[in-house]
Amino acid sequence: MQTTIKGLRLWCYTLAGSAGLALLPINSAVAQEDTRVNGFYENATYGRDGVGLSKFRNTLQLEAEKRAGDVGIFSNVSVNATLRGSYDGVYDLNDDEYGRNAGGPVRLENRAAGPNATVPHGGGLKLPNSFSEANNPNEGMIVLGENLHDTDGGVAFGVPVRPCDEDERGCIDGYLDKDTNDMRFQEFNDRADFIRELYVDFDYNFSNGNILSTRLGKQQVIWGRTDLFRVLDVINPVDYSRNNIYDELEDIRIPMWILRTDYRMGPTEVFDGLAFDDLNFQLVWNFDKFRPHDIGQCGQPNVILDAGCFFRGMNSLWENGGTVANFAGGEAATDFGPGQIGIREAHMPSWSLANTQVGLKMEGVYGDLGFSLNALTYRSQLPSLRGGIPAQNGFTGETGIWPSLIAFDIHFPRVNLFGGSLDYYAQSVDTVLRLEAAYTTGEEFANTLEEDLYSESDVVRYVVGADKNIFIPFLNEHQAFLFSGQVFGQHILDHEREQRRFGEAGIPDWKENWTGTLLIKGFYMNGRLSPQIITAHDFRAGATAIAPSVEWLVSDNFRVTAGANIKVGTGARKFDDCRSCNPWDPFTATYPGQPAGESAGLGGYEPLGRFQSGPIGMAQEEDELQLTMRYSF
Amino acid sequence: MKRAFRKSVFNGLVIGLTAGAFSAGAFASDKVINESFHPYKDQMPSHEGLSAGMTIDESNVAQFKDVIDPAFYTFIENGWTSIAVGKTTSFDLHPAYVDATRNALGEVSLGEQVGEINGWKAGRPFPQEPDADDPRAGEKLAWNYKYGYNWGDSAAIMPFYWKYRDMESAKVERTIKFNFHFLNYKGRVIQEPTPEITPNPSDLFRAIYVQVLDPADVRNTQLLIHRAADDLKRDNSWLYLGFQRRVRRLATGQVTDAFLGSDLMIEDFEGYNGRISDMDWTYKGTRYMLMPFYNHNELKLDEETHSDSNGYQVVAFSGKGGCFPDITWQLRKVYEVEAKPVDESHPLSKRIHYMDAQTFTIPRTVAYDRKGSLWKTFTIGQAHPDHHLPKNEGTGVSIDDSFSMIDVQASHCTTGQFKGQVDPELSPPNMFNVQHLRATGS
Repeated sequence: MQTTIKGLRLWCYTLAGSAGLALLPINSAVAQEDTRVNGFYENATYGRDGVGLSKFRNTLQLEAEKRAGDVGIFSNVSVNATLRGSYDGVYDLNDDEYGRNAGGPVRLENRAAGPNATVPHGGGLKLPNSFSEANNPNEGMIVLGENLHDTDGGVAFGVPVRPCDEDERGCIDGYLDKDTNDMRFQEFNDRADFIRELYVDFDYNFSNGNILSTRLGKQQVIWGRTDLFRVLDVINPVDYSRNNIYDELEDIRIPMWILRTDYRMGPTEVFDGLAFDDLNFQLVWNFDKFRPHDIGQCGQPNVILDAGCFFRGMNSLWENGGTVANFAGGEAATDFGPGQIGIREAHMPSWSLANTQVGLKMEGVYGDLGFSLNALTYRSQLPSLRGGIPAQNGFTGETGIWPSLIAFDIHFPRVNLFGGSLDYYAQSVDTVLRLEAAYTTGEEFANTLEEDLYSESDVVRYVVGADKNIFIPFLNEHQAFLFSGQVFGQHILDHEREQRRFGEAGIPDWKENWTGTLLIKGFYMNGRLSPQIITAHDFRAGATAIAPSVEWLVSDNFRVTAGANIKVGTGARKFDDCRSCNPWDPFTATYPGQPAGESAGLGGYEPLGRFQSGPIGMAQEEDELQLTMRYSF
Repeated sequence: MKRAFRKSVFNGLVIGLTAGAFSAGAFASDKVINESFHPYKDQMPSHEGLSAGMTIDESNVAQFKDVIDPAFYTFIENGWTSIAVGKTTSFDLHPAYVDATRNALGEVSLGEQVGEINGWKAGRPFPQEPDADDPRAGEKLAWNYKYGYNWGDSAAIMPFYWKYRDMESAKVERTIKFNFHFLNYKGRVIQEPTPEITPNPSDLFRAIYVQVLDPADVRNTQLLIHRAADDLKRDNSWLYLGFQRRVRRLATGQVTDAFLGSDLMIEDFEGYNGRISDMDWTYKGTRYMLMPFYNHNELKLDEETHSDSNGYQVVAFSGKGGCFPDITWQLRKVYEVEAKPVDESHPLSKRIHYMDAQTFTIPRTVAYDRKGSLWKTFTIGQAHPDHHLPKNEGTGVSIDDSFSMIDVQASHCTTGQFKGQVDPELSPPNMFNVQHLRATGS
């Protein structure tokens, strides 16, 4: 504990000192014309319904640019750096929710003893090879999904929620293993995220007027034309632990060490009759060591899809064993031993040339049409759970590969993407239309019809967007409101779903789904007061997020944003949970003659219903009030 | 013999008449050109009681009502500002532009519908004096503005300071620092290549590129406007948002909206930044009026807003709310032109433009809201290029040097302070491509 406090002080002093140093030259911020140094301090304080403080993040960001002009054969040479450090006080100020005192003892549903019966963690039906509570005590845990739903006859288990230095249970090495300071000081980690961006730009001018424009270093590379959704904008992974899906991607993309080079041809006549107003070819080589999305670790305020909790609980089950609610016979809380079910490890791709990621883009303007064609080979930034790993049979003690056993390793498969985008101004309706689409191969989905409990599918995703300014005279006589609507569609082309004895089994994700967003933004006081409302509706999940906010530019330097994030609609959804997959036949058969490894379709909220609820549905109980203040210098 | 005599007399008459006709035609051409480009060569305008060096304020403004537009007259009458009168000076445009006009004289005509023009290659398309009986006289003046020498073939305003001011409290609410760049693709008369930059697949006439340098919340916002040579075709516009790092195409509705919260819409840039075909144009008359033309280097300048190694300083502002440029005004020949938006949903009901006859800049515009009430007035101060930055000397460009857009309904204004530079190296063609926005964005 002493060490932690010292560490906290150190970082606070560091941040305060840095802020002081940074603020000293405010008056000389407009220094030499070829040098720019600026930055901001920001406090983001969020309160969550039923939880209290969910964010008290203090960020100091410094940005510097040095333009060197012509250097040797290169022109427009410049060096850019962005440093960002933050301290989120929520882990200290609300530590019984998100810090070292979070969680507690849990009880798990045991329908075998009655409709509302429960047993404590460790009090379930003991398999012949069970677990010792000494290795996995009933403390510092929550019941999987308890913030969103009751167990309701489904499966659940205890999930440790304290930072990994406080409780290492369920911490997955190299993937979801944050200790207290990793959470408090998000950027100060072994990937040096406090260096948010550091790159050099340089141009090489060809004699024909074309330009080879290169950016080398830690950076964000942005593809596509849509907001919020990532159809083509998939080069950098994203930090969803910051504010789920709701922050500007600019703030939550995780910069990577990348070479990006553009061959800029400008207006180009390819041949007689085919001429582009602008034509550009881009090569992107992400040579950084692979990084997945930060999906949030269980115990952090933002855990997208609550997946981090599922993973942590599953890893703890593998490492330590544990009690699973309503499991045996579909209703008896059952104590599994270590190495029987759960997540064994995450296979993080190491650095090798073969593991780097390459993209190509052709982008231009043809007449009134802006377009791009994109191709990218990359590693999925979302985890795939692959079954089929050696595990112990809880009844016999035998170790082997059991069909449809819920024992997994995490992989990040290679994905190939082909796509494109268009924008067009439709004069007749005074509206800008945007289209972005991608076809991917290699993505993997949970699939309870498969013995390894996953399958690969090609996927088509697209976004159609429209932007229009509309006057609403009774709200503002002189300035129009911006209306920006988008529909995001996802089609899993190799989707599988079958009706089994107790319910549907297969891929939990919807075969086809759409999410619509609408932004309405107004401007008052010469743009210094800007109210807006963003709504997002997941059609299949039946879940909606509504985020009203008001931004007030008090001065050129000081900005205050007050808002809310409210969800309505359906939350948790149920799907086959593979309790009835019969991996250890005949001990686990749910009906006479059930083939080994074949799901009978018994389902509940956990763990696969989350893929139907989506990020909005899974956050139904995370309504927040949000206040952000930023001082720029 | 008699026949031979008659024949020679006839021949002589033919030759003489032809020569006379040619010389009369040449004389007529010169007259048109001279009157259009050198209106002060033979006679300086005057108004009773008006003299260089005097100040017009609320005490004496009534005497000069005829030479001040009604909106500005009210400002002076209210005691919000005054006019320092300077001597009328000739703002000679570049001879190459004048020659291009001369060479095309009589070859340019309007098409059937507003927005169509035939035969224009370069220069002023309609240098003839407007005819009040010509129902399309206003449209011709609008073409003269559109194809005016304006910033020349290319130029940059680097930097360009916009200040948002509360007129009542005089508080500067916001200061935005820009770079503006202009490039003509067609009608080029001086900078190579002339007369057109090729390839030009979309047949562009002009492009404008804007980059925001400060403050932080809008830094790196970039705007690119492509204006087609075909006036009936809408502009293509793109906005790069620094905080999103994305290029977004703009709808037309967004060019008639407040630009970055200022009192200007994109359509206001340079006086009028839209299509001829978006407006119904009416010529209202020719007058001598006081207009904001001056020698920048002879002004008392703003010592605080801008400083650079060249020692250049920008125009200072004073008056009510700090909304009025500290400049001198001179009596000049002006065409009054009314522009009514064709689109009924346009936020304005009309603009009254006061076009300077010699330069075809629009130094004064008065705009009315949809109800017909006075809404905004726009002043663009014009600096003589020979009394500005050394690099601007001899360019023949009437330098846009200061502006003030006053929203009289909101008691608010946006002021602009320029460092205008006629320098082709600052605005290369590759700057005006969409990809440049992405490459420049961080």
